[in-house]
Amino acid sequence: MLSRVADSLYWMSRYLERAEHTAQVLDVNLQRMLEQAPRHAARRWERVMKTLRLVKTKPEKLDAFTLTSELTFNPSTRESILACMAAARENARQVREQIPSEMWEKINKLYLRVKSATMEDVWRGESHEFLSGVREGIHLFHGITDGLMNHNEGWHFIQVGRFIERAQSTAALLGAYGPDLVNAADRIADVRDYFEWVGMLRSCMAFEAYCKVYTADLRPERITEFLLLNAEFPRSVHFSAIMVQSALNAIAEFTGTKKASRANRLAGRLRSMLGFSQIDEILGEDLNTYLDDIQHHCAQIHVATHQIYISYPIESALAS
Amino acid sequence: MHYTIRHITRFHYTHPVSESLTEARMQPITDANQRCLNFELSTSPEARIMSYRDHLGNIVHNFDIPGHHSKLTITAKALVDVQDPAPLPDSLPISAWKELDSIVSRDDFYEILVPSPFTQATPLLAEFTRELAVGRDDDPLTLLHRINSGIFQRFDYAPQTTRVDSPIDDALRARKGVCQDFSHIMIALVRQVGIPCRYVSGYLFHRTEDHDRSAADSSHAWVEALLPGIGWVGFDPTNNLVAGGRHIRVAVGCDYADVPPTRGVFKGQAKSELSVAVSVLPSTEPAPTQMNYSPILSIGSHGAEPDWASEEFAQQIQQQQ
Amino acid sequence: MTLPATGLPERFAAYELGAAYDEMFTPEMRPRAHYQTLYESLLELPPEEMRRRQEAADLSFLNQGITFTVYGRDEGTERIFPFDLLPRIITHAEWDTVERGLTQRITALNLFLKDLYHHGKILSDGVVPRELIYTCKHFRRDMRGLQVRRDIYVSVAGIDLIRTPDGSFAVLEDNLRVPSGVSYMLVNRQVIMRVFPHLFRNYGVRPIDHYSQALLATLRALAPDNHPDPNIVVLTPGVYNSAYFEHAFLARQMGLELVEGRDLLLHDNVVYMRTTAGLKRVDVIYRRIDDDFVDPLAFRPDSMLGVAGLFNAYRAGNVALANAIGTGVADDKAMYAYVPKIIKYYLGEDAILQNVDTYLCGDDSQRAYVLANLDKMVVKPVGESGGYGMLIGPHSTRKQQEEFRHLISATPRNYIAQPTVQLSCAPCSVDGSVEPRHIDLRPYVLHSAERTTIVPGGLTRVALTKGSLVVNSSQGGGSKDTWVLFDPRDRIDGETSRRSFL
Repeated sequence: MLSRVADSLYWMSRYLERAEHTAQVLDVNLQRMLEQAPRHAARRWERVMKTLRLVKTKPEKLDAFTLTSELTFNPSTRESILACMAAARENARQVREQIPSEMWEKINKLYLRVKSATMEDVWRGESHEFLSGVREGIHLFHGITDGLMNHNEGWHFIQVGRFIERAQSTAALLGAYGPDLVNAADRIADVRDYFEWVGMLRSCMAFEAYCKVYTADLRPERITEFLLLNAEFPRSVHFSAIMVQSALNAIAEFTGTKKASRANRLAGRLRSMLGFSQIDEILGEDLNTYLDDIQHHCAQIHVATHQIYISYPIESALAS
Repeated sequence: MHYTIRHITRFHYTHPVSESLTEARMQPITDANQRCLNFELSTSPEARIMSYRDHLGNIVHNFDIPGHHSKLTITAKALVDVQDPAPLPDSLPISAWKELDSIVSRDDFYEILVPSPFTQATPLLAEFTRELAVGRDDDPLTLLHRINSGIFQRFDYAPQTTRVDSPIDDALRARKGVCQDFSHIMIALVRQVGIPCRYVSGYLFHRTEDHDRSAADSSHAWVEALLPGIGWVGFDPTNNLVAGGRHIRVAVGCDYADVPPTRGVFKGQAKSELSVAVSVLPSTEPAPTQMNYSPILSIGSHGAEPDWASEEFAQQIQQQQ
Repeated sequence: MTLPATGLPERFAAYELGAAYDEMFTPEMRPRAHYQTLYESLLELPPEEMRRRQEAADLSFLNQGITFTVYGRDEGTERIFPFDLLPRIITHAEWDTVERGLTQRITALNLFLKDLYHHGKILSDGVVPRELIYTCKHFRRDMRGLQVRRDIYVSVAGIDLIRTPDGSFAVLEDNLRVPSGVSYMLVNRQVIMRVFPHLFRNYGVRPIDHYSQALLATLRALAPDNHPDPNIVVLTPGVYNSAYFEHAFLARQMGLELVEGRDLLLHDNVVYMRTTAGLKRVDVIYRRIDDDFVDPLAFRPDSMLGVAGLFNAYRAGNVALANAIGTGVADDKAMYAYVPKIIKYYLGEDAILQNVDTYLCGDDSQRAYVLANLDKMVVKPVGESGGYGMLIGPHSTRKQQEEFRHLISATPRNYIAQPTVQLSCAPCSVDGSVEPRHIDLRPYVLHSAERTTIVPGGLTRVALTKGSLVVNSSQGGGSKDTWVLFDPRDRIDGETSRRSFL
């Protein structure tokens, strides 16, 4: 397939995943806020920024209204829902004729809905309704994609984009909560800890899945293990790495590219790193270093994939 | 006379570029008065050199360099045998105009009788036409000599004052310029009276005893006009010469736009700086030990990455039938 | 059934005949023989049913995604190209003339282009003035002496025909660069077969769905000799082009890759496309980008749509382009006036399809006539298409006429004028009733060294506004399906040919 088309599918998928993540994190934190004393608010929103990897951009005020508006509608905030939806739609539009029309229609409708909404609508009405609407729209999009699109090379590029983004998002979430988790490991948890942890799990829709595995007994090391190393939970870093690797293998087979080995090797290394890690070792050493390592790996896989399939140097392609 | 020509062109890019494509018009013409005995073009980074003959009959070499590079050097070497043209008569009968008109009506000289991009009629040109009293009062040959020396006398030779792609008005206003400007002005004047006139790019062999105005270490340009009973005659308004055995012709066209020594595009956000060194020596002399490079001010565009979000792009994309 | 004053059933109460030729009715208001069945069906079709079917048709376009996206204020909203429900019907005999006329015309124009870009005999012989060529903005001097594969310059043409008041077809305009609209021809047929299945079956309509195969064969014929599996691509300016739907549609129908300029690159005079499996050589390009933009190295250096160096690969014979570069010189509207002479010159025949009288503003006496009669004429810029920049004399204001007087005087070569021609009228469905609207016809001609293929019919464009003569989609035009009927002599045993639609 054309490199440009593969690139557009990959980015469409990444941006959608990012929009979903932002919507979910925002939704959970707006709800938590209602149940919490205002004095904790600033810290909460700082952590939201960190979860969304927005540490560099500091809004003027760290209050709920400003941030919600920022993260929903500011087209120049990289992680805002509107910015992500616009970028996802633009990428989908570039390949509109290569994907089932239902996919385009879904993404277009969702974009138009986000674009036409106003902060007043979201704030005065139920923000939850709006944000979960975005999330559901994206879930529906993925359902259409899996159900209607040929599971060809293009579909696998969608998978790679989606799960690289997800691995990075979940790792960022762990990074934002990391210090609290590590501190709490040495003492008995109180109600406030418990409250935060539920919020964290909900931020990646993991609460119910966690309970199924560990019961509702929330412990920092278990939460970390679940979000990082669980191989069955679709939002864990480990699961994402498995998906990335298998999609990259499929792509290598489709294209018959020998040079693919670099991206596949990186994906394989990330996967086995997660597969063979023990949570007590990770926590015993340094969680942050471990998470940085994951981010670094994901970035490398992204670059390698791009270099092999999309922006490869012409002279090397001619030589082979 | 046999000449050895070395023409080195160096592009420097402010940032690495890739996928550069370049065309070069550097191979001297072979015809009745001149034979190109040997020609070599090489590049660094290396590239496969291809060539074709363009619609004007010039030989064009083209090549591309796909990988990243921040320098490009093109080296052209030629061995040329130039004959002195047959001596011109002192003048032509006034009836030569009639003969000329009849030649023009029989064959296709359309493009070299009307203004081309660099030889547009402007108010300043009209003024200059009156100043030199360009018209059909003299015979064609006498008129051409008059225009040739008229430009020579009224303009200063001033390198670096105009760019290679400057409109003639810049030179007309300042009364100074370089060989391209003088050639363009002469072409514009000559075509007005119905004499087919074309632009020639090439080299001039400089001898100290000649006191040529044009620079020795760069390429040169002059014009050729068609005269009945004689054929193409070269006039060099920069040096007030009739082109002869020292003028080595490389390419002909309507004006500079048809025959730039190099033209190219590349991918990347970079500016390119161009410098050129030329040496023309009798083939009996040894090669120069050192070449003297001079910068050339902008050769139009050596393109850059398009802006996909621009208004311009939006307009281009809408064209359809 | 009540008969209104006109003697027609109520259904046609609003149907008034004007000066134009009417496709359905004779001047005596009797349905022509080949419209009889449609006429009767319309009488039986209640207005609400007609409305329902119109809605069904519109929905069908929407559902198939045959829409263009409106950008700007209503960003993201989708519109359909208006479709009129009632087919336009052409008899076998009429089509036979059209087909012969178009074949003759395309053959001559192709020879003209070859001559023009080589020896220019027609110019030396003084049949076409040299000045007209050199002043044409679509003339490509770089094409002189360039060997075009199989000497085919125009592979795909769209020739705009009109029916004059005497009932004969005449050529209004040649489109030899990148004519568009053929996808609507194909889709209109699909839709009408769903909306009027019985009517369609009873009529014996010649099929058109082999267009994509014929186009592919035409493109394949441009591939290098003995190439078993040439890589042919469709080159589009991109998703924002208003004809993008068509580019994608044709690529899909032919099973070809749809590429943009940025997907292609040049190395050693060979064109490659960038795929996830590496670079793949390209042999033939069906390009839907104008000459100016195909190669920033050879043509407009500011082009962002093209491929740098493409022209050198083309010259080297490493890639074929359809259409060739420089075909626009032959569809210049001033050149149009010379086409009958061009046909005579190369083929020794008289033109089968007539031209509309054309005045060249570049000619002093013709310009004087035009300027004196601006209110009666249609003035067109020579190098434009899509109905832009026109003056429709009878429908224009004094101010507009003055504007054109200035424009023409400033650059006379850029304008031609024609007497206002009454395009023929055809019945159209207007909110449940049937009214006449002006139409034209754009058949698509596929031309290769072996054969000329014209699928029977073409795109019938409709001026949807009552009385309007402008059919261009950019100016509020729509389209309808075009039915070319089988030869009635074949109809007795025509069952075999018709069965394929059942």
